[in-house]
Amino acid sequence: MVAAHAEHHDVHHASAQGPRSPLGWILAAGYIRCLWTIPMMFGVGVGIMALVRWLEGWGPIWNGSIVTTLSLITIPLGFLGGIGAFDFWGRYCFGQPTEVDDHKSHGAKDWRGYFRVNTDHKVIGVQYVGTTIIFFMIGGLLAMIFRAELAQPGTQIVDTQTFNGLISVHAALMIFLFIVPVFAGLGNYVIPLMIGAPDMAFPKLNALSFWLLPMAGIMMVSSFLVPGGAFATGWTSYPPLADHQPLGQVFFNMGVQWAGASSIMTALNFLVTIITMRAPGMTFWRMPLLVWANFTTSLLVVFATPFIAGAQFFVAFDRVMHTHFFDPAHGGYPLGYQHIFWFYSHPAVYIMILPGFGIISEILSVMSRKPIFGYRLMAMSLMGILVLGFSVWAHHMFVAGMAGWLRVPMMLTTMLIAVPTGIKVFSWIATIWNGKITLNTPMLMSLGFLSMFLLGGLSGIYLGNVAIDIHAAETYFVVAHLHYVLFGGSVFTIYAGIYYWFPKMTGRMYSERLGKIHFWLTFVAFNLTFFPMHWLGLQGMPRRVADYAPEYGNWNLFISISSFALGASTLVFLYNMINSWVRGPKAPGNPWRALTLEWLVTSPPPLFNFEQIPTVVGHPYEYGVKGAQHAILNGPTTGTPAKVGAH
Amino acid sequence: MTAHAEVHAHDEHHGGEHPPELYLSSNYPQTILGMLLFIGSEAMLFGAFFAALFFVRVVNEAPHWPPTGYHLPVFVAAMNTIVLVTSSFTMHWSLASIKRNNRVGMIAGLSLTVLMGITFVGTQIREYSRIGFAPGDNAFASTFYGLTGLHGFHVIIGLLLLTFALVRGLRGHFSAEHHHGLEIPGIYWHFVDVMWIIVFITVYII
Amino acid sequence: MRKNKQFIHVAMIAIVLGAIAAAVAYFGNWLPAPASREAGRIWFNFWAATIVSIVIFAVVSAAIIYSVIKFRAAPDDDSDGPSVHGHTRLEIAWTIIPTIIVVLLSVASAIVLHENSKAGPNPVKIQGIAQQYAFAFKYENGVQSGILRLPLGRHAALRLTALDVIHAFWVPDFGQKQDMVPGQTMTLVVTPTRLGTYPLICSHLCGLGHSIMRTSAIVMEPAAFEKWLADQKTALAGPPGEAGKTVFTNNGCAACHAFTAAGATGAVGPSLDDLSASATAAGQPLEDFIRESIVAPNKVAAKGYPANVMPQTFAQLPKDQLDALVTYIAENGKGGS
Repeated sequence: MVAAHAEHHDVHHASAQGPRSPLGWILAAGYIRCLWTIPMMFGVGVGIMALVRWLEGWGPIWNGSIVTTLSLITIPLGFLGGIGAFDFWGRYCFGQPTEVDDHKSHGAKDWRGYFRVNTDHKVIGVQYVGTTIIFFMIGGLLAMIFRAELAQPGTQIVDTQTFNGLISVHAALMIFLFIVPVFAGLGNYVIPLMIGAPDMAFPKLNALSFWLLPMAGIMMVSSFLVPGGAFATGWTSYPPLADHQPLGQVFFNMGVQWAGASSIMTALNFLVTIITMRAPGMTFWRMPLLVWANFTTSLLVVFATPFIAGAQFFVAFDRVMHTHFFDPAHGGYPLGYQHIFWFYSHPAVYIMILPGFGIISEILSVMSRKPIFGYRLMAMSLMGILVLGFSVWAHHMFVAGMAGWLRVPMMLTTMLIAVPTGIKVFSWIATIWNGKITLNTPMLMSLGFLSMFLLGGLSGIYLGNVAIDIHAAETYFVVAHLHYVLFGGSVFTIYAGIYYWFPKMTGRMYSERLGKIHFWLTFVAFNLTFFPMHWLGLQGMPRRVADYAPEYGNWNLFISISSFALGASTLVFLYNMINSWVRGPKAPGNPWRALTLEWLVTSPPPLFNFEQIPTVVGHPYEYGVKGAQHAILNGPTTGTPAKVGAH
Repeated sequence: MTAHAEVHAHDEHHGGEHPPELYLSSNYPQTILGMLLFIGSEAMLFGAFFAALFFVRVVNEAPHWPPTGYHLPVFVAAMNTIVLVTSSFTMHWSLASIKRNNRVGMIAGLSLTVLMGITFVGTQIREYSRIGFAPGDNAFASTFYGLTGLHGFHVIIGLLLLTFALVRGLRGHFSAEHHHGLEIPGIYWHFVDVMWIIVFITVYII
Repeated sequence: MRKNKQFIHVAMIAIVLGAIAAAVAYFGNWLPAPASREAGRIWFNFWAATIVSIVIFAVVSAAIIYSVIKFRAAPDDDSDGPSVHGHTRLEIAWTIIPTIIVVLLSVASAIVLHENSKAGPNPVKIQGIAQQYAFAFKYENGVQSGILRLPLGRHAALRLTALDVIHAFWVPDFGQKQDMVPGQTMTLVVTPTRLGTYPLICSHLCGLGHSIMRTSAIVMEPAAFEKWLADQKTALAGPPGEAGKTVFTNNGCAACHAFTAAGATGAVGPSLDDLSASATAAGQPLEDFIRESIVAPNKVAAKGYPANVMPQTFAQLPKDQLDALVTYIAENGKGGS
């Protein structure tokens, strides 16, 4: 063993000596290698197509549509291979000596570290947050374009097909490239620290998970460049409409697969990490609620995401192999897509909010200097939402034309899921009640979340009620509801989390003044934009329309202007983040005087988080108790590694 | 002790930055837990395809299934089932062998498993070419090719994993103490086998 | 401050917020005036949900506002709050009470759902067919119309389907909506209670013409309705000009085309007033050109108009109706008159 280690050591050192040869540059993992791996994989795809078409006698050999579809698989693989996401496994699978982890690919000493395959969960977390914020901006820009179109009745700026494309890509980016992965990113950064682990269970898988994401985003955005334009069937992409669309549709089908794969791999990582790498003394009932939240979210991701993969495969097969899963003329069942799609996409909305619930629990407790009220019920309500969340999908199909009786049990489960959610809202209020509240930006964002999510949840009660939904479905009432829960809900928690952990991640403090300006601008503009939509929907304005009845012109103009203000508010956020990261005042290890483990190390944390795994000795929210500690650093560890801790 | 000294020598070389000694809060091996969860998600992917079949056959109240004029090669598929189930046994034999440090048994079992897997895939491909209908014919054909094709794709992935394990086995990698690299592809292979039994019964029999 | 006083202050804030919310709910004109019995029942559910929502909103918001003001830490106060971990009875209460409320709302909704699906013994049976981008309503006597006409006070059983992709039938004033799905037929019941003309909208994204896919639902006195049905039937059997005009109006051509003879001013597609030049350009006699434009609209690309907007299924019109329509347009679309 020692000899083998020494051997690897020499190999490592040999490669560290001297300048790289030209061949070394071409063969070493990195962007330069991509210059040939991408064309190579593109060629492989073309070759497979040519071979199959030649053997089967299907002419012509070259088919642009098929080449594009295959390239959506081969080119990302080429890129990933080029930058080195598969290097370790490549060597491992062929039995070559794998380098004993020399931590070369761990951590970022400068900006370059953030642009390569990096196994440090802290770097990956920042990579996720940075990438997802970029797609948030792009998605928002698309929204402002179509809001400009909607400002007046009639068609002024874009034609209807482009409009349909704008709304579809907007939603797809926001869901798959922003909200779902940004929580993966924040969780990636914080969770290992919070449970006292040096990293995630599978750091290389973690790196691969991240790099899948820009592939998906570039794919979806580039659909605008394809003949026929971007995919234009809504992010829900129902057949039969989706079966007969121009090429851009495939960019959605495939983009979702890459994003879904990223999501599933990260979730696997979270689950194994949380189960197997908690510090000694951290029983499940001593885990911070963010860890509980990511744990339940990851279970949702692992078991639900494959359903949307399946749904998109069927649409792709319908297009490429002319299958008839959903074509009634050939025995297919159109609603089958909807059931399969929503079986994922409803749990998806919980995937998009549960981590946010966890973040809010952390922040409300710290900023009120009080324990979370009803901690155990809070954890169990997360599990309740997880289980119930799988039983409500058809509430997206109340008017779809499925068997009428099925709507009643689905309504019941939908309404019942308000109960665990309500428990959380009440518990949060009881947490801040009688506390010592500091109204800084993370706290303001959390309070904004609390009030806006309340409204979103209440409009959900309307929509869960089948009778009301029959009138309100497919209208702007739904658009209002979804933005109240996803923007008023999720986005506020994302902002809250980014501000809260900004000092830990960057080692600097953001500008509190700009943070407050950002909060108020966002809060006001958000309500002005989305509240009137409830009224518009109930009065008679359907959704996904490029044009509408003239009597709604004034309200639409008001909404559009408000939406531009909302867009502008993000600029304040961006400026604050970038400026503070570059030249903000240095932040202490624990600016919030919080108890959870991530705050017990420096800002930013050391390369491997802890010199010695800490010991957890108490509850994570023990505020108000003199001398209470959640964990102690460099304390005695209970025995040798791999011993099971006390439960 | 030697390992410990190694670690220290290693640290000093890297300026003191090294991961802390790992603590595991669960006896369950991480990689196996990861593979089991992954299999959970794969099972759900099959679930989506089974759901599609359910919708076009049951909810659509298809009068005849297979539709008139369509026949499935049940006998060949049954033979293929026997092949695949046997391959699970040889896989188990392979793993059991290496647990007793029997390298020859390990290689033999693994090679037989791979061979039987290739036989399975080859037979399925041959049947596809002779079955007399294409995926684009109707919903029955679409779900047939969808489910068996999805499964076949997973068999190929399984074969790739087993081949990698075979290469590593031939290069002397596994032992009685360290055989996760064989056990994990083995778990995946058993999943593929069990999934075939479910696919076979759902698609060919009932 | 004593706990009771705190709760009283919260209650006061809640009452103010509740009053504001109630005013917004009452004066906000949220729902169209109901024009059907089904809408009446649905609106009842809406208001039940609204009352529940106002109460919850008021109490929760009041608690947040009060906390933020009253429990704000002084700038130099570094101390913690009390170490309160929970209150079992309170937690049980806020689990059980919401459960009861949502179950009651669900029961009310299920009852309305059941009532709203009753078509009674003798409904007017109308087939609704959607295609990209027009509705067609077929009555039992064979009359087809692009506009839905219904008799006041009588159940109408609409059997809805679609020909190409998923569409939806929605009349906001009737409160009833149903997706129209190819390959299946769903029944929707409407029992109009007010005379008038109401927008009838496709609310399910169906392609690039989705936002223009709308028509009207007209509720008439029962006698007027029966007369209209009979008149349409006779007109179809009458002289080609009459029949042709009936087919033109009934199939919603006016929604997209301008045609002076029929008083149509649609602007989505080309005007039909002067087609001679287009026919010549296509190298066809006028009547053949018109016929092809109707049955295979994508073949004849009218300059400046996108393909795939005009429905492609008018080829399925009964032959005599198609002939009458072609003659009618040809006679009045020569231009120069």
